[in-house]
Amino acid sequence: MKHSETVFLVDDEPALLKALGRLLKAEGFAVQAFDSAMKFLSAPHNNGAGCILLDQSMPEMSGMELQQRLIQEDSALAVIFITGNGDIPMSVRAIKAGAVDFLTKPVKDKELLAVIKTALEKSRAMLTERAEISEWKQRHAELSAREKEVLFHVVKGLPNKQIAANLGVVEQTIKVHRGRVMAKMGVESLAQLVLVAERLQLK
Amino acid sequence: MTAAASLTLAGVHGFVWLRRRQQMASLMFCIMAAATAGMAGCELWTMQQTDMVAYTHALQWYNVMRWLVTLALVGFIHFYLGSGRPWLEWTVCGLRTLSLLVNFLVSPMVYYTSIEELVRIKFLGTEVTVVEGIPSPFSIIGQISLLVLAGYLVDATWRSAKGQHRPGAIRVGLSAVFFVLALSLQMMFALWGFIEMPIVASLFFAGILIVMGIELSEDMLRSAKLAEALKIREQELLSERKLTDAIFESAPGMLYLQSADGSMVRWNSQHERVTGYSNDETSRMKAEDFCAEVERNTLTEARSMALAQGGHEVEFDLTRRDGRTARHFFRMVPVEVAGEPHLVGIGIDVSSQRALAAETERQREQMAHIARVASVSELSSSLAHEINQPLAIILSNAQAAQRLMAHEHPDLNELREILDDIVSADIRAADVIKRLRSILRQGKPALETVSPHALFDQALSMAQPDLKSGSIQVSRRHSKKLPLIQADRIPIEQVLLNLIKNACEAMEDNGAREKTLSLTCVNEGGWLRFSVRDNGHGLGEDGDKIFEAFHTTKPKGLGLGLTICQTIIRAHGGNLWSERNKSHGATFHFQLPIVPENL
Repeated sequence: MKHSETVFLVDDEPALLKALGRLLKAEGFAVQAFDSAMKFLSAPHNNGAGCILLDQSMPEMSGMELQQRLIQEDSALAVIFITGNGDIPMSVRAIKAGAVDFLTKPVKDKELLAVIKTALEKSRAMLTERAEISEWKQRHAELSAREKEVLFHVVKGLPNKQIAANLGVVEQTIKVHRGRVMAKMGVESLAQLVLVAERLQLK
Repeated sequence: MTAAASLTLAGVHGFVWLRRRQQMASLMFCIMAAATAGMAGCELWTMQQTDMVAYTHALQWYNVMRWLVTLALVGFIHFYLGSGRPWLEWTVCGLRTLSLLVNFLVSPMVYYTSIEELVRIKFLGTEVTVVEGIPSPFSIIGQISLLVLAGYLVDATWRSAKGQHRPGAIRVGLSAVFFVLALSLQMMFALWGFIEMPIVASLFFAGILIVMGIELSEDMLRSAKLAEALKIREQELLSERKLTDAIFESAPGMLYLQSADGSMVRWNSQHERVTGYSNDETSRMKAEDFCAEVERNTLTEARSMALAQGGHEVEFDLTRRDGRTARHFFRMVPVEVAGEPHLVGIGIDVSSQRALAAETERQREQMAHIARVASVSELSSSLAHEINQPLAIILSNAQAAQRLMAHEHPDLNELREILDDIVSADIRAADVIKRLRSILRQGKPALETVSPHALFDQALSMAQPDLKSGSIQVSRRHSKKLPLIQADRIPIEQVLLNLIKNACEAMEDNGAREKTLSLTCVNEGGWLRFSVRDNGHGLGEDGDKIFEAFHTTKPKGLGLGLTICQTIIRAHGGNLWSERNKSHGATFHFQLPIVPENL
């Protein structure tokens, strides 16, 4: 079984890197191992789907710090923590910051593989969503100023009559604008339009 | 006038004698004064007589008074000076009595064989009667008795002056001598007709009486003063007693006075309260009765030390009447009471302090344990990491191997590598567990008798892989006959192993310098000192910190090894310290106690 996504390993313990690497390679994953966070950051890593298996306690830069760097970089890599001595506050912080899981060493292979699977799905979903959002942003940018105004009022839930009164035009004009907005944004229902507007944070 | 004065004196001293019967001198003085008054009366009587018979009669009565005065004077001197010779006293009294008898029985005229005539002469402005006649040869007895009396007085005064220093007594004696001699002279001159004057012996005796009276009064004054002083002193003693009573009672513990043999003489109510024995029971007890049987010798020794050395302190279990005991601290000081050596002592209940000290010690040990556990729990997170790391390596490797094995053509080289990694990770985990166990070891080490040779042998055999891979020369420089020591064997072996491994690591970069590890063991009297010496890179600048937890110079070290070693050695009562070698490297020393029988 081959996987297209890469699993990144970052741990200061070379023997563990080797062992995890062997395990994941045997499962058909592409594995890239680094014995420090700095080395990982300086290596080229694409923004495609993937996950990173991160040791929390490392000298120089800790796993948590590396997670923050990835968030800043807007990385699509799903983060899995793996630690020798994790505590609850630490795991809560990690999960709040978007980590998929917080594993404690030693980790059983099935558990590890299941988490990696979830992480990769999350990464993929994250990539899909990003693609959708950038498309909607594109479509929204192509709307005329009046259409943007109408869209704004529509997603606020105002009836056409009210919108027409607010904008100082007749109701028929609003209906035309509204139809054009739906077509340009590529949605088929009002519910879809509201959802997209929410994603784009137009409210 | 003489009679009146003499009677007054007689009255006063008669009264004194009545009040204080043992004052015989006062009685004698009283008799003498009364007799002198009588004598003066008789003299006056003779002086007024013109009839021969009546004169003779008066003279006889006068002589009775003389006899009485003389006896009373001798008696007074006897009692007052207390130094007269009895035979002289008897002689004086005898002669006087003889003179009186003669007077009555033989010569009624007393001084004269025959009286020729009664002559009226002017004496001191008054007309008085004197006689002219032939002096009686018997009158010589009276003269002799006067002279013997004078002699007796001189002798008694002299002896009194030599014996005691009583100026008053001497004054009395001398004045008596003076008046007696003057009287003798006057008597002789008058009798033999050299001078014409009546017999006025009473005047001389009155002189003696006055001096005696003054001295007696002074004596009385003195004794009154003494009595006063005595009273004050008594009051002082009473208040002193009250003060000591108060001091006894105010003492914070038991306060007591014992005789040298331990009998209880005096004690405060605290003593009664603490011991539970009533005052009556205590008065029949001895010091040792209050002491637990096993400690009696200690108390007896302490008591004799206190008597001999001017004070001593002792602590023992005070046994109460109900059999319960309480630890007491006693301080005893010797004191002389009524010429006998005694001990005054104070006893304070120290049982609560002792209990507190024991409790403090227990808490301290508990705290030490808690501190150790706390530092262990601090350590545990890093130790957990240390221990989970090899476990994770083992697990992941093993599971990777399982998956590889599932392949059709498993890579055997890969599998071999995996197995090697598993083995070394396992060793690593065991190592960490060993360290953890020695940290968690609680309380005192389980001591056993151990041969120092065996310790070296075992540690060296465990360190063999490191010694071999590092090609290290080992030299054991110690006597073959070393005493056995008391130690918990396994942790001590770990200490030695740890020091040897450290030494090996320190010598890794020796280069051309031959790596030498020397082990020595020296008997320091009561202790064996073990030393591990290397010629490696030495301790570096922060050599003082090497025993602190988490201080490490090794890239992969935890910084706990020497801390744990230090803990183990200290638990044995010894110490672990390091020393910079003069040339290269460092030496680590630690001490362990020698088995007492081997000292």
